[in-house]
Amino acid sequence: MTTELGIAIVNGVFRGSVYALVALGIVLIYRASGVFNFAQAEFGTTGLFVAYIGVELWNWPYWAGFLFGLAGALGMGLATERLVIHPLRNSSRVTLLVGTAGVALAAIGIQFWQSNEQPIRSMPKIVEGVAFQPFGAAITYQHLITLVVLIVVALALAVFFRSPSGLAIQAAQQEGTAAELVGISVRRVSMMTWGIAALLGGLAGVLSGPNLTFTAGFLSFGAGAALLPGFMAAVLGGMRSMPGALFGGLVVGVIEQFGNLSILSDVSGGGAMMLFLFLLVVLLLRPQGLFVRKAVAA
Amino acid sequence: MTEHQTMSDRDNPMSDTDSVSTTDDTTEITTTVSAPETAPDAAPDGAAESTRELPPVVADQVDDDVAPFRPGVGGWVARGLVWALLAWVVFALPGNFLSPFELGVSDVGHASKAAIFAIIGLSLNVLIGYTGTISLGHQAFVGVGAFVSAYVVVDMGLEFWVAVPIAAAVGGVQAAVLGAISLRLTGLYFALVTLAYGLFAEETLFGITAFTGGEGGKNVPRPLGFEDDYTFYYLCLAFLAAVLWVDWRLMRSKGGRALQALRENPRVASSYGIDVKAYTLFAFVVSGIFASIGGALLAQQSTFLVPKTFNFQLALIFILMTVVGGLRNRVGVVIGSVVFALLEEGTLVHLLHLEGILDSTIGLPAEFFGLVIGPILLLLTITLYPGGIGQQVAPIAQWLRGKKFDLHAGKVTEVEVTDVRA
Repeated sequence: MTTELGIAIVNGVFRGSVYALVALGIVLIYRASGVFNFAQAEFGTTGLFVAYIGVELWNWPYWAGFLFGLAGALGMGLATERLVIHPLRNSSRVTLLVGTAGVALAAIGIQFWQSNEQPIRSMPKIVEGVAFQPFGAAITYQHLITLVVLIVVALALAVFFRSPSGLAIQAAQQEGTAAELVGISVRRVSMMTWGIAALLGGLAGVLSGPNLTFTAGFLSFGAGAALLPGFMAAVLGGMRSMPGALFGGLVVGVIEQFGNLSILSDVSGGGAMMLFLFLLVVLLLRPQGLFVRKAVAA
Repeated sequence: MTEHQTMSDRDNPMSDTDSVSTTDDTTEITTTVSAPETAPDAAPDGAAESTRELPPVVADQVDDDVAPFRPGVGGWVARGLVWALLAWVVFALPGNFLSPFELGVSDVGHASKAAIFAIIGLSLNVLIGYTGTISLGHQAFVGVGAFVSAYVVVDMGLEFWVAVPIAAAVGGVQAAVLGAISLRLTGLYFALVTLAYGLFAEETLFGITAFTGGEGGKNVPRPLGFEDDYTFYYLCLAFLAAVLWVDWRLMRSKGGRALQALRENPRVASSYGIDVKAYTLFAFVVSGIFASIGGALLAQQSTFLVPKTFNFQLALIFILMTVVGGLRNRVGVVIGSVVFALLEEGTLVHLLHLEGILDSTIGLPAEFFGLVIGPILLLLTITLYPGGIGQQVAPIAQWLRGKKFDLHAGKVTEVEVTDVRA
């Protein structure tokens, strides 16, 4: 039982680092545009497909394919901001939600279409092999790299939000009109936020893709589904806290792994059940999130 | 009476300071000029005192009443012809009756699917359109209906006619339970709960082998007398008609007006004594019942049921077809659902013989047409034509009902949905 719990926790943390990357992007966009971005996971899948094209089809070196994938995600994020979010900026938030869901579905459709000849693909890992085995859970170098990237990204974001550009983003998010008055271009800030969020999504996709084989919609509802866990992580952090989203991601990863324990072996889809119950409990008991001291005015 | 007061208000803004007799004279003059059929002596003496409070909008309606538009004989014949054409498309074409094309059995199968999708679209319309609450887990509702109906027919050996009410009841109960727990949340957070519920149903509920037959799926026989694809299509049409009728009557009831009020502004609605949560729950249950009926029919239509059919992508397509169809517009939602049902496997492309053109120009195979074009249609709808297909066809629909052809009928400026907390 202890070993089993240990495996669940270790696997959960490493799985959760992908969720945390997605959740960071969701929180960033929620703060900037006030929308639940359902396309966040698709930034990742698109980045993964683009990276795959670079590495496997055009035989580029891995780092070039990796950057190419991130560039693909970035392009998609900026295009989304320009073509969907900006025209809808005065609409209600639920309209925006439908808009981002439309972007996600369009991306999935195009991925299905373009990967028609070979629907199931696999991306090589950055470094092959198993790093170590705590409690017998095989932790690959890929997992380790993902966790390290998450930590680096978190630190970089923390530094960035204290730089002038980062402060401009925060100012525009808190009070758009006032920010305009002191000379911050809210349009540029919005583009920048969506760009950063898309990069985070792209990182999640390109880093988690090699763990499994992938298909269209990989991070939305495929084998590596990170959209719902990412949202749950963001909700745990109260939708506005970046550290909250990060730790939320790790917590959600572990909770999901608890669904695979042997006591639940009779139930199929234990992970999904745990996530649903956990989300209900969190939203009903602490809708302001677990990692915030006081409720944030919505 | 209101007409008189507004008239006097508009023509004589000083009326409240004037004496009563002067105002009465003005009223008499204006009404005889602009609205001769209303009796001027209907205005009570004290009318002048309350003139200021009345909105001037009422005056516009008077002009409409003066000369109501009546189409001439030619107009009625033209409308009759279009009605007949529509009836032919709906009733005769799928059954190969008087049809220039030879449609196969699979084509009428698609037609039944389109009718079922229309039921599901109407079900989502109750939720998104009437209450402004969004459900991202509607595939679970449809799936529950499908599997309950299949279970009743296959494992309990009962008739289809028993299975549909049971499926509807179970669908209503699950919506009531989920709603009772989670309707404390609103807006985006509620959408998130339905998303989680959809995934939970897909993975956990539909994974119970005793209930759904597991990965392998389940064979579902059609009801007696409707085994044929053609007769089954008319059965689906009958259910669609029933759902349309219930939806229409419901929106004309007190509950329907309450829903419209709370969509506009939940806070104002509750200050007028409308129990916002109870009515939202009511709409959620109605939506669940409609979706389960759609699911039960879907199980019979495909005759083979696998849990993986009801995935998140299907939920997104349901939302797409409802929003593209046009929220709160029954005709639009039905057309939108039919279009998406036909787009899904490229049927529409095949019917119109477009696959060659699409394949050669942009290399888009017919089966992906819906997947790629559908979301783009959605994005165009919400950014450019928020009223959806309903807005596009509104002039024609008005014309068919015997009104004047007005290109600007049914104009909507935004896809309106409430947004309380999130």
